[in-house]
Amino acid sequence: MIILDNQSRLPIYEQLKNRIAELVLTGVYPPDMQLPSVRSLARELGVNPNTVQKAYQELEREQVIYTVGGKGCFISTNPLIRERRCRETLDRLTAAVRECHRAGIPAEEIRRAVSDTVDRMGEEDET
Amino acid sequence: MIEARDLEKRFGDKIALQGMNLTIQEGSIYGLVGTNGSGKSTFLRLTSGVYYPDQGSIQIEGRDVYEDCGIKDKIFFVPDELYFLPHSTLEDMARFYASQYSGWDWEYYQKLCGFFPISSKARLNTFSKGMQRQAAIMLALSARSSYLLLDEAFDGLDPVIRSAVRRLLVDEVAQRNLTVVISSHNLRELEDLCDHIGLLHNGSVRFSRELDELKLGFCKVQAAFSAEYSAGDFTGISIMRCEKRGSLFNMVVRGNSQQVLEYLQQFQPVFAESLPLTLEEVFIHEMEGIGYDYNSILL
Repeated sequence: MIILDNQSRLPIYEQLKNRIAELVLTGVYPPDMQLPSVRSLARELGVNPNTVQKAYQELEREQVIYTVGGKGCFISTNPLIRERRCRETLDRLTAAVRECHRAGIPAEEIRRAVSDTVDRMGEEDET
Repeated sequence: MIEARDLEKRFGDKIALQGMNLTIQEGSIYGLVGTNGSGKSTFLRLTSGVYYPDQGSIQIEGRDVYEDCGIKDKIFFVPDELYFLPHSTLEDMARFYASQYSGWDWEYYQKLCGFFPISSKARLNTFSKGMQRQAAIMLALSARSSYLLLDEAFDGLDPVIRSAVRRLLVDEVAQRNLTVVISSHNLRELEDLCDHIGLLHNGSVRFSRELDELKLGFCKVQAAFSAEYSAGDFTGISIMRCEKRGSLFNMVVRGNSQQVLEYLQQFQPVFAESLPLTLEEVFIHEMEGIGYDYNSILL
């Protein structure tokens, strides 16, 4: 379920953190699901247990997961994550629009591309 | 915990280590990097009690290592030049180490024998370099020590065995809180494995830090501006190195990449992007800072 990219420049704990947050957001990891223990995940991925521990700590700080002493880590039911996800996705859209602008695409064409996609999503939702 | 205080070691009038201070926590995988001849191997030999310190101390769990059998029982050292008893086979060596280490685990050894593709009955000196390394690592893991010191341990191992050894090490750290100190020049490998990195140069520690902190402490920024700027205009960020080609800036900046990008927005860049540094870049960068770089070597 968790795949690490060894070529990536992102530190492994960041990759782990992002991946778990993503799985939570997409609902693959439902609320109150128990995460694998630090040790077993470290063994499975072949990464340093301290790295996994760090990712879990960060996730807990961001309230994506919660810890039950003696039992392990669980996915929390926190709406904040969804909010953040929306914000991040919108940020990416902004960046993509900037990129279009730099590539010299006229504003009208960018606008049309965005609204076309939005319209198409609407149709798909209806059918 | 491994603790070096003002550690010094001389060979004749050559100073190998001087004023070295280093702390390595239990359950950590510590990467020791440094230029050739910077004292990595000397430090590992001092830590394993092969050498005695000329000054200062090297302690494990609060005890001086040299001539202390009790603490040496908890340390296994795989040197860069392997030594096996003359004409011995892997099995002979296993029996030898079993007699030396109280924690020796025959069951685990048998399991490793089933996995590593080397014969335990053949003479070790007929083996290739990589196979001898494998044998040494099997013995090291089977001794079930609390501290494992590996000097260039991944040298000559093929990629499959490499990743298997990595997993075995991680496993031991997770299960028994093993402490691993590993010296290597393969920074890519250390980057994936270690949690702390220490950089040695000329016999002392340049820095010893958590790996992620180290990598995230710097970022590489590429940016272009429509207006004319020079590096001196960006006073709000600490620029370590700057290269300018036309309107394109290549910079290494101290600090968090997000903050740096936010800062640069006020100069209205045509584009600005940032990447975290790899360990290799951090290493080269640090060494440049003390005048050890290849720019002065290239003609």
